Amino acid sequence: MTKKRTGVFVCHCGNNIAATVDVARVVKEMSAEETVVYSQDYVYMCSDPGQNAVIQAIKDNQLDSVVVSCCSPSLHEKTFRDNTTRAGISGFTCEIANIREQCAWVHKDRDVGTEKAIKISRSAVRRAGRNQSLEPIAVPVTRRVMVIGGGIAGIQASLDMANAGLEVILVERQATLGGHMLQLSETFPTLDCSQCILSPKMVEVSRHPKIKVMTYCEVQEVSGSVGNFKAKILKKPTFVDPEKCNICDDCTQVCPVVVPNEYELGLTARRAIYIPYAQAIPASYTLDEEACLGLNPIRCGKCKDACEADAINYDMRPETVVEEVGAIVVATGFDLYPQENIAEYGYGKVEDVLDGLQFERLCSASGATSGHVLRPSDHKVPKDVVFIQCVGSRDPAQHCAYCSKICCMYTAKHATLYKHHVPDGRAYVFYIDIRSGGKGYEEFVQRTMEEDGAIYLRGRVSKLYRHNGKVKVLGTDTLTGQNVEIDADMVVLALAMQPSKGTAQAAKVLKIGRDKDGFLAEAHPKLRPVESVTAGIFLAGAAQGPKDIPETVAQAGAAAAKVIALLSQATLSHAPTVARVRRSHCTGCEMCVTACPYHAIRLENGKAVVNEVLCEGCGSCTATCLRAAIEVKNATQMQVFEMIEACLA
Amino acid sequence: MSEEQAYEPKIVAFLCKWCSSAGSDLAGVSRIQYPANATPITVPCSGSISPLYILSAFNKGADGVLLSGCHIGDCHYIEGNYLARRKIYLIKELLEMVGVEPDRLRMSWVSAAEGAKYAQVVKDFVADLKPLGPQDKLKADRT
Amino acid sequence: MIDVQSIRDAARDLLTRGEVRAVIGYRRGSRGMLAEPVTITDPEQADELVWDATCFHNLALYLVEDRKALAHAQRTPTLPIAIIAKGCDARAIVVLMQEHYFKRDEVYIIGVSCEGGGVLVEYKLARLLNGAQALSAVFDGDELVVTTAAGEVRLPASEVMADRCLECREPFPKEHNVAFGEDKTGRQLAAPFTALGRFEALSAVDRWAFWRRQFERCIRCFACRSVCPMCYCDECVVDSITFPVAPDTTAEEKANRIRWIERSAVRSENITYHMTRAMHLAGRCIDCGECERVCPVNIPLRLLNNKMELEARERFGYEPGASIGGPSLVASFRDDDPGQFIR
Repeated sequence: MTKKRTGVFVCHCGNNIAATVDVARVVKEMSAEETVVYSQDYVYMCSDPGQNAVIQAIKDNQLDSVVVSCCSPSLHEKTFRDNTTRAGISGFTCEIANIREQCAWVHKDRDVGTEKAIKISRSAVRRAGRNQSLEPIAVPVTRRVMVIGGGIAGIQASLDMANAGLEVILVERQATLGGHMLQLSETFPTLDCSQCILSPKMVEVSRHPKIKVMTYCEVQEVSGSVGNFKAKILKKPTFVDPEKCNICDDCTQVCPVVVPNEYELGLTARRAIYIPYAQAIPASYTLDEEACLGLNPIRCGKCKDACEADAINYDMRPETVVEEVGAIVVATGFDLYPQENIAEYGYGKVEDVLDGLQFERLCSASGATSGHVLRPSDHKVPKDVVFIQCVGSRDPAQHCAYCSKICCMYTAKHATLYKHHVPDGRAYVFYIDIRSGGKGYEEFVQRTMEEDGAIYLRGRVSKLYRHNGKVKVLGTDTLTGQNVEIDADMVVLALAMQPSKGTAQAAKVLKIGRDKDGFLAEAHPKLRPVESVTAGIFLAGAAQGPKDIPETVAQAGAAAAKVIALLSQATLSHAPTVARVRRSHCTGCEMCVTACPYHAIRLENGKAVVNEVLCEGCGSCTATCLRAAIEVKNATQMQVFEMIEACLA
Repeated sequence: MSEEQAYEPKIVAFLCKWCSSAGSDLAGVSRIQYPANATPITVPCSGSISPLYILSAFNKGADGVLLSGCHIGDCHYIEGNYLARRKIYLIKELLEMVGVEPDRLRMSWVSAAEGAKYAQVVKDFVADLKPLGPQDKLKADRT
Repeated sequence: MIDVQSIRDAARDLLTRGEVRAVIGYRRGSRGMLAEPVTITDPEQADELVWDATCFHNLALYLVEDRKALAHAQRTPTLPIAIIAKGCDARAIVVLMQEHYFKRDEVYIIGVSCEGGGVLVEYKLARLLNGAQALSAVFDGDELVVTTAAGEVRLPASEVMADRCLECREPFPKEHNVAFGEDKTGRQLAAPFTALGRFEALSAVDRWAFWRRQFERCIRCFACRSVCPMCYCDECVVDSITFPVAPDTTAEEKANRIRWIERSAVRSENITYHMTRAMHLAGRCIDCGECERVCPVNIPLRLLNNKMELEARERFGYEPGASIGGPSLVASFRDDDPGQFIR
């Protein structure tokens, strides 16, 4: 290895550095370093004349590396690296010695300050002495996006990206787009009809020339990395050709099979061949293979006989397609925490005890009761309805530790809707406290209490059970300290949101992290809230954490903006300070593979191999490897070793 | 001046680039004065600090070694500081077992917003190191 | 008590049927009653195999040697190699497989339980025999049966056993293809970490005084490293004389050999070497105690490794050698790892 030719440039920063640090002495000490062939000081190194002096010195002295002793790298590292590049050598050969924030500004004694500045500068000189010339890694980009999940988050993200000109593949596991939002009756705090605001978006998605909708499909496998993912998608057979189906409904009339309708949360039944909702997109029927008597004219075949459009095809088989995309948005949403887990409320087995979504269907004009609130057991109008908040949430001992965030608001909405439907009925709400942060939210809760007359009781319900055709609710009002007993006609549980099954599956397929509650983990809780840990994979909606519709839409838009920014470039540029394997030393023990937070390392022929696009250069591998067989470029163990030496000299 | 007062412990401070180094910058911007004993080495992440760096610093004559990273949950690289916590715990136990004063190795979480905390960490560390005197247990014996 | 003939038969059958290419075991050594490691490839040699209280060696080391020889010869054998493994040896093999040093189907483990015994310590035996020469020594239940010229002597096993065996809770090789002897997992002849506990009760000043004495004595013969199956690295990070040069080794790499410590056997370098070694064995050392046994200057090296083992178990719920598929101690973490020491 030929010896480095390093130039050292020490900045006075006016008097900011020079007041505490004897700049001339730093220059003199540095010029004695083995690799240093040029050194100078200047009053403002970052000024135009200062930067030009650096460029001139690089050219005149054939420098191959640069140390600037000045302010924090967070201020001018980029300035000086760009400058170095302009002079014709790699910007990554330039190191900053921070002698202002970490030295001159925090010490008063000039001797002490100068000594420390020398150590810091010498340490940077040693590091620069072993820096490699690196160029940013260019990665080609596929300008297509896959969105997983066809709820409001996925729909919004798809539209935003498609409108920006990106090709979008929207994958939904259910037979229709719409997700949970399509099940809601009205939305808080404005009480506009959920389907009325969602359906137009669903139609827009289905008609958008840039969006390919794949319902009844599941992502099975994803390989590749940012800019170039390959996704294997399973198309489950619907046995109905959506092109031919004219939704005449003749098939369901003849189908002999009756099963609970999952889209109505079991409040109604459906046939084996069915359409989830009248507004379903695609507007086509689906034949549920599990429920069907047998996809065979000999076994049944009634629907095929009845179909005049000849849309039914029993020979459809599962199909796998591969799509190449540059980025992925995960919008796999939530499920409600299972009522079966709540022992004190009867494990979901007590009649007329509903979950929030079931209540939505009761209120919905398109629901089982055509929008009349009737209790399921006897179809009578319930006069006393108890709403219980925080069921399954905020209970670290037994259920979910987190606050499910939307339940205070949807319970207030439920109480309001109920009072609108049954003005002479009584709505009781048991709550721990009310969390109504959001535009118009607090006002809405106040209206629920004051104008709609819902009775809010602060406390928990300890037990409920069937008693004389009603549901006996035993609770405590902690504000009065009295026990409360209500003979309710109906009880609605505000169950916690939990990550959907699809979310767990997506995390596994995409190898992206989940937090302790199973929601998808964001790359940084504050600064990168819509990015996953893996570059090129973005998060939208309740899969990342409990949130309401406006928040979901906002996050979906943010994720879309991130994708648009990412894919607006012809190639991606990635920092070249990534891990490198010394193959001769690697024994393939896989410790680095385990330690890497980015899944950037894999074993190939018994040796670790780094995917430079995925590697972020954190160095977890370096510290874990017992054999110093993997190191981050320009932050090698040798460099640190020599820096330690410089600090203690 | 007695010998004890003249003794200034030498400290190598490994600071993660994203939190603690930025925190020390903030101490500077806020002009919070603290002792000059600790010379910083910026590393990508506390998780990149190999136990060998620590032993090597002591071997090269450090009287104290400071490691500082992002608070748990805030790591720029998601989980580097979790890995660091486990490794540093082990080496700290090992040092103590051998009879090296446990106060010579210090770890802290300093966020980019905690300039004052960084200054305090260094102040406390220097104050704790002074009574211990020079570290000669692991310091290279070149005689 | 295990009939050695059953082990011999198993070895012979494996070789005769062509199921393995060799068997690593113990045979009677050239030095008195002591067993020594042997690799046999001929079924006829099976009768040389022995099993007694002097089967000290952790034979996993010879699996590592075998692997290295194969790599050097660039050979990929089609048949597995068989190995006779005590509880500790089997745990070492598990760690090696966890680190992908070889695959499970490349090794045939003939597990042999130490049952109520283990290995003896020569000086303990000599003390009890009052100068009589032992010709053989086999554990039988909680006794050691020793043959001398004067006849058979029965000694309490616990008085002649190695400390590591007394403290062992897993004398049965859990990971095995075939196993002989009774599974006495959980047996506890002495409390685990007895010596460590005694040592840790000392003051910091006394602890340092102790180690200072120990490390001043170290001659850096590297016997501890050579005998350790976990020290399979081609180049030791703290001693680069073994620097491996491959066709793709660059000049820069050659120049970048870091001298973390000096080679001279002085206290500071010795202690840094041993501490680095302890760190590198954290979560990997399965306490076979071979490093301590072979140390020519009697440095109680198990203390260092036991300390790491104890912390791994108590703080991180980690048992070295328990799982082939699990993550390594230092490559993983738990949310509730201790952090009270952090300011």
